[in-house]
Amino acid sequence: MSKLFFDNIIMFEEVDKAIKNVASSTEELNELRDIVDGIVNHKVVEKVLDKLPKEHHEGFLALFHKCPHDEVTIFEYINQKSGRDIREELENDLKSISSDILHELSPKDEVSEETGVSKK
Amino acid sequence: MTQPAKETYQKYTQEKYTSEFLRNKLKLKSLETKTSLFEKYPHVKKFLDEKGLDLDKIRKHSAKVITTGALTGTLLFAVPTPSRNLPVISSIVKNITDFNSESSKPINQEKLLTNLREILPDNVGPLTRSQEKQIEKVINDVIGVNTKATLEGEHLNTTYGFIGLEQHLARYPGDNVTYMAPGRGAWGYFAGSKSNLTEEAIEREKWYVAVQTLYLPDWEERLSYVKDWYKYRKVLVVNTANGNAVIADIAEAGPAAWTGKQFGGSPEVMNSLGGSRYTKGAVVMFFVDDPKNKVPLGPIQYNNIDLKGVTMVEV
Repeated sequence: MSKLFFDNIIMFEEVDKAIKNVASSTEELNELRDIVDGIVNHKVVEKVLDKLPKEHHEGFLALFHKCPHDEVTIFEYINQKSGRDIREELENDLKSISSDILHELSPKDEVSEETGVSKK
Repeated sequence: MTQPAKETYQKYTQEKYTSEFLRNKLKLKSLETKTSLFEKYPHVKKFLDEKGLDLDKIRKHSAKVITTGALTGTLLFAVPTPSRNLPVISSIVKNITDFNSESSKPINQEKLLTNLREILPDNVGPLTRSQEKQIEKVINDVIGVNTKATLEGEHLNTTYGFIGLEQHLARYPGDNVTYMAPGRGAWGYFAGSKSNLTEEAIEREKWYVAVQTLYLPDWEERLSYVKDWYKYRKVLVVNTANGNAVIADIAEAGPAAWTGKQFGGSPEVMNSLGGSRYTKGAVVMFFVDDPKNKVPLGPIQYNNIDLKGVTMVEV
């Protein structure tokens, strides 16, 4: 079984929909999902570290390494060291990350450099 | 009617352009994200390097931690709410036996729901082995289907999670139905062609579920064996809000962990679990122990009893 401590507050359905619409095979779908997974993991770590005093960064990382699935222990640690309940803040950060990724996934009008005319 | 060659070529390049274009965009985004984190917090990179930890692969690491903890008995899933006094199996069985000893009543959905509510945690999430054993007993005695959370050493990523509505899968090359997913399912087509489409294949697609095989601890290492084992594997899905139950088969991998869901269900599966507007909900999902392939796919009939506050959906 695989679980990360923030899995219960992340809902990137639209991102998964967008990826499914594009992927032409299961392998491709899994590859794209893996890339998004990596983006989310790095972003979540960055957002959590933004909220923690620097002296507690290693404590968080150690917990994340030891028990990455343990939502209660990790959130307790972060809340205690940051002095507030950051769960809602992190949920909002995740929504923003989702919008960011969706923005990347939405087709844009590519313009040819040579002619200045849309490639569509 | 075939498309002119030029149009076919343009369609092909447009599709290829789109998926390749998106893959490259996402890869670039991934690189930007890593750079942003490691430039802002260089000590993070140092820590991760020392531990040999790659945030791209942290889910695999999580799976290993969880598996190791379960094997050594040291893993305790912290319960966010005060721990409950789990009912002893004998008291659950007594409830069922007392009920069954009365005249031949149809299966009582209320008994199932009451027992499930006593066992399941407040928050939807992974179950302990003890909880799974109790649910196996309840399901086996009330619904009459032999189910297992762990079958032949295999265990789903979770047995209690949210199921979401999936699209129909292409059953054969060129298949075209309403609300169909682009591309094939994880295990490919159900038949080689329309003329080879059997009743069995039709039923398999109709009653399919998606499970997160991609997050199994050693999915990649055991790919050949695991892929074969899970293909069309029967599962029992129970809607924990209203007790509706359906026998489904695994025919798709997913959804992604970051969708907030742990399972997917075909339109028919979802309809049987909660009606035409049911698109997401909490379910338990266990393997059906059916070596002789006798258990049919589809909904399991319950008597229609109106429970207070619970809308029963006729199946």
